Amino acid sequence: MSAFIASLPTLGRQGLARHGFLAVVAVCFVGFAVANPSFVGGANLVNILSGAVIPLIVGLGMTLVVALGAIDLSVGIALDFGSAFAIVVLKDYGAAWYLAVLIGIAGGALIGLANAVLIVRLRISPFLATLGTFFIGGSLQRIFTHGGGPISYRRLPPEYYDIAVGEVFGIPIRILIAATLLIAYFLLLERSTFGKKIHAIGLQSRAARVAGLPVGRLVAIGFVLAGATAAVGGLVASANLRMFTPLAGNAYLMDAIAAVFIGASMHRDGRPNVLGTLTGVLFLSMVANGLNLMGLDFNLKDALSGLILVAALALSIIQHRRRT
Amino acid sequence: MSTTLAIGRPQLNSALASVVPLAIFLALLGYFGLRAPGFLEPATLILILKQAIPTAVLGLGLAIVVIAGGDDVVAGGIDLSVPSIAVLSAAIIADQLASHGSSAATAVALGFAAAIAAGAANALLVTRVGMTPLLATLATSTAYIGLSKVVTANRRIDLADPLIVTLRDGTVLGLPLGVVVATGLVAIAHIAVHRSRWGLRLQAVGGNRDAAEIAGLKVHRFLAQSFLIAGAFGGAASLFVLARGSGSTPGVAETLLMEMVLATFLGAAFSPRRVVTVWGAVLGAILVSALSIGFGSVGVDVFWTGCIKGGLILIVVAASALAKRNRT
Amino acid sequence: MTAPVPPPTPVSPIAGAADFLVLEAISKGFPGVQALDGAGLGVRAGEIHGVVGENGAGKSTLIKVLAGIYRPDAGRILLDGAEIDAGSPDAVQAAGIRFIHQELNLVPHFTVAETIFLGQELSGPFGLRTGAMRRAAEAFLKDTLDTDIAGHRLIADLGIAERKLVQIARALIDGKARVVVFDEPTAPLSHTEIEHLFRAIDALARRGIAMIYVSHYLSEITRICHRVSVLRNGRNVGLVDPVGHDDADRLISLMVGRDIGDLYPKRNHAATTPWLTLTALSQPPHYADVDLEIRRGEIVGLAGLVGSGREELVDTITGLGRPTSGRIVVDGRPLRSGSTAAAADHGLAHVPRDRRNDGLVLAMNVADNINLASLEAVSTGGFVRRSAATTRAEQSAEALDIRPKTVTTAARLLSGGNQQKVVLARGLATGASLFVLDEPTIGVDVGAKAEIYALIEHLAAEGAAVLVSSSDPTELLGLCDRILVLVRGRIVAEVTPATTDLDRLVALTTGGEPAGGLAA
Repeated sequence: MSAFIASLPTLGRQGLARHGFLAVVAVCFVGFAVANPSFVGGANLVNILSGAVIPLIVGLGMTLVVALGAIDLSVGIALDFGSAFAIVVLKDYGAAWYLAVLIGIAGGALIGLANAVLIVRLRISPFLATLGTFFIGGSLQRIFTHGGGPISYRRLPPEYYDIAVGEVFGIPIRILIAATLLIAYFLLLERSTFGKKIHAIGLQSRAARVAGLPVGRLVAIGFVLAGATAAVGGLVASANLRMFTPLAGNAYLMDAIAAVFIGASMHRDGRPNVLGTLTGVLFLSMVANGLNLMGLDFNLKDALSGLILVAALALSIIQHRRRT
Repeated sequence: MSTTLAIGRPQLNSALASVVPLAIFLALLGYFGLRAPGFLEPATLILILKQAIPTAVLGLGLAIVVIAGGDDVVAGGIDLSVPSIAVLSAAIIADQLASHGSSAATAVALGFAAAIAAGAANALLVTRVGMTPLLATLATSTAYIGLSKVVTANRRIDLADPLIVTLRDGTVLGLPLGVVVATGLVAIAHIAVHRSRWGLRLQAVGGNRDAAEIAGLKVHRFLAQSFLIAGAFGGAASLFVLARGSGSTPGVAETLLMEMVLATFLGAAFSPRRVVTVWGAVLGAILVSALSIGFGSVGVDVFWTGCIKGGLILIVVAASALAKRNRT
Repeated sequence: MTAPVPPPTPVSPIAGAADFLVLEAISKGFPGVQALDGAGLGVRAGEIHGVVGENGAGKSTLIKVLAGIYRPDAGRILLDGAEIDAGSPDAVQAAGIRFIHQELNLVPHFTVAETIFLGQELSGPFGLRTGAMRRAAEAFLKDTLDTDIAGHRLIADLGIAERKLVQIARALIDGKARVVVFDEPTAPLSHTEIEHLFRAIDALARRGIAMIYVSHYLSEITRICHRVSVLRNGRNVGLVDPVGHDDADRLISLMVGRDIGDLYPKRNHAATTPWLTLTALSQPPHYADVDLEIRRGEIVGLAGLVGSGREELVDTITGLGRPTSGRIVVDGRPLRSGSTAAAADHGLAHVPRDRRNDGLVLAMNVADNINLASLEAVSTGGFVRRSAATTRAEQSAEALDIRPKTVTTAARLLSGGNQQKVVLARGLATGASLFVLDEPTIGVDVGAKAEIYALIEHLAAEGAAVLVSSSDPTELLGLCDRILVLVRGRIVAEVTPATTDLDRLVALTTGGEPAGGLAA
């Protein structure tokens, strides 16, 4: 990274286009470090990683869906359902923590299943199907919470609370969860037969079908997995805040999509990939963290992160087009 | 060739599928008329039209982008940022009027300039950078909403400016001024898209890009124009959003987005050629508004309306998707 | 490869006239390839000039140079003695040179009139003059192309042949066309539709328009063209003047540069146990009451025009479509319909007619495509063993002589013939016992055709049951043991090549109409 910073002055307009995304990363990194030197401190780098946990978890599911040639606008809803189901069974039914985890994941999978039925059975395009789920799922949360008030539960079982705050050998459990999912998704998408089939469907679903792949079943599995994965993000969020906040998940939707596309544009063939998504998520987390440390007004921060997002996407796509 | 998912062949009868959306709507409207006797009275109908205006104007913008880009929502034309553009423009106008003492003309000019600039940014990202419209406008919509929050500090701004009040309460020959102005916009859009040389070419660009290129059309120019026009309609919609809400309110973009998408694709389900049209978007907006008011008049909880509208999107597009695939 | 009926007067008033369009010593190189090496072409006014050559011979590069899409490295283009700015599509268009591309490229929800006038609309003070455009379109179709199509009909509601004629009308509506280039115009057309198209092309020739006709179908070339230029390796290797209906073999040897001997392999297989059985299979309005049995070691052909229900029947067998009634049984086990995965489980391999969209995942490499349907064989516990996958793909590429040999090449970079071999390799890798081949040699050049025929013969000799569906009756007669003829959704005849000649097969597929002309 330092070598890159040293070469910054020589980066002209041409350089910006050629190194596109990396240039934005470098400019942001230097800018944040200058604005607040504590940005580059070890403690803050852990903060950046921690901040990346939920976006990464959601982004992994999104990577799978985009690799299928589809999109899932309802991952935020699946995250909310994960968090809601877990908190409700803990609070109202006194369920054991592991049961709550399982039921939370099932809640997210339920959203994925709804999408799968709409897309595979009713043949609605993934965009419109998940948009429908997005609205219905949001509406259901409002109905259930009588208008959108959070459901808080202060007396969480310690094991559940540890999902967000616990440590093993000094490593935060939430980071371990994210790392485990990262490895699992890497193996699944980049190394397994399932992943090969997923990519074939995403690239040319007609041809995959003619080859005899069970396209409908694989698409359904993809959406259910994406929903279940997003729900894990919901578990982390609910454990962290010790409450279920309705509609909180939608905040992660845009970041997840952006991370996947930034990652895809860094890939040689321009396809969604797990390591690219990781890079995209880390970048977005770095930007959020850096803007926080600059002590900016909350609204200004929102606007700036939106603009940086657009710029990063645009440059990474220009960069991909230059290369091919 | 886009890589839309091809899973299998539909099984539903196509004639049935094409009638389903309309039948559902007529049944619902009939039900409202029976349950709430005031529902079919002129005052309610006028209210339905008034409430439909912002959605209809946004829908015009989206319809033009979809017509120019093709109706494949992932690879083709879509502009999810029109509601955010309207919110941004509304924020600027409200802020100018309330906090800077600007004249109405200055405020509106600034709001419109922002809307056009936003449309130009979308056009640039799609035609120059090569982003898919879905990704580009999803990303810019977060930026536009972010900017609108900076402008208003994320607070509600009440307006009592004569312009906004006139647009809300004024009448022409007994009809609400807003409805008259919106009708004018619809007529202009309809003539431009469906009756002019430019419109035919725009439709060709969206219908088959290769065909348009072979006919010597500058495809990118039409695409860029469609995003600019959508930005302009976003700016126009901002005035109606301000009038309907008597000021600028944070957080309306999401509702507007849902209603815009619902209205526009609903319109396609009703159109004889099953494509997005200007008239379809307007009809869709009126039906959505009728439903909102209808559900209110029979006492359905407001929290349920999101659920019901989402369900309607799904039923309508499923029916239309099945009908379309059965035809080809 | 002979036309069933002698062609109508190929020797014509144009004989001896000066060339109206001249492409002179055109060269064009790309990194690693010299696509054109001093190739030329001379076309007279009123002439239909055929251009043939194998894939890679330079035909499409030559056409793209003429279209102005490529600027030639050397050479010039003269129209009526005046040089045209080569490399400028606008100059070419302005000079009156028009292209009828293979792809129709029409807007499905446009009307015929809107389609024809797109880009040069008639417009008045009140916007588009819809009625005037409709009348003008109908008059033009009638006068110039000798055809009746109502101007208000939607493209989506037209047949393929009508769409082709609308496409031609679109290119000619401004009345300035002096040269028209046809690129594989008959590929999607049926026998009678081709006749219709040829009438339109004849009408254009009588108006003195110079035409270039590029096609793989030599029987069409010999029938309709006055002269034929043959290209090989970017050079002219022959000009056949005048061309007659019995010149097909001569054209082939010029194209290939050697005598390819017999195109069709020697039969070396024998039918054994019944394998695929269709019983009273129906899908109205496409086909009804189809009974069919294919044994192992047998090649059965399916003949029928476009619209005869042949495509729908093949789709049903392969699981892309679903019958409304009837049974499909493979090896005694009933096949669940409407699922390609179920068909694959029953050992069915499908080589689809639309290779680009349905055959291969073009963005994936050759190895991934070969292994796609049988990944389990090269994986352990759900994870792909990458070296095993590559090795198996390499072996299969070697066995089928797929070129280039490097299996990491993206499938989209392969020629049509090699892509088809990859599709076959994918089926072979699954150990399939039933092959359904739909238009197996469409868009494939002569040399690759012979290889694919040999492969099909090999499949049967190894004991697979093979169904070949084709619009090319010569191919069916050369390859199959039995041929079933589908007319309007019903099997009307079963014939063997030994007892049937081309004329009779064509007559059968056209439903007993007298065989006039050729079969595509």
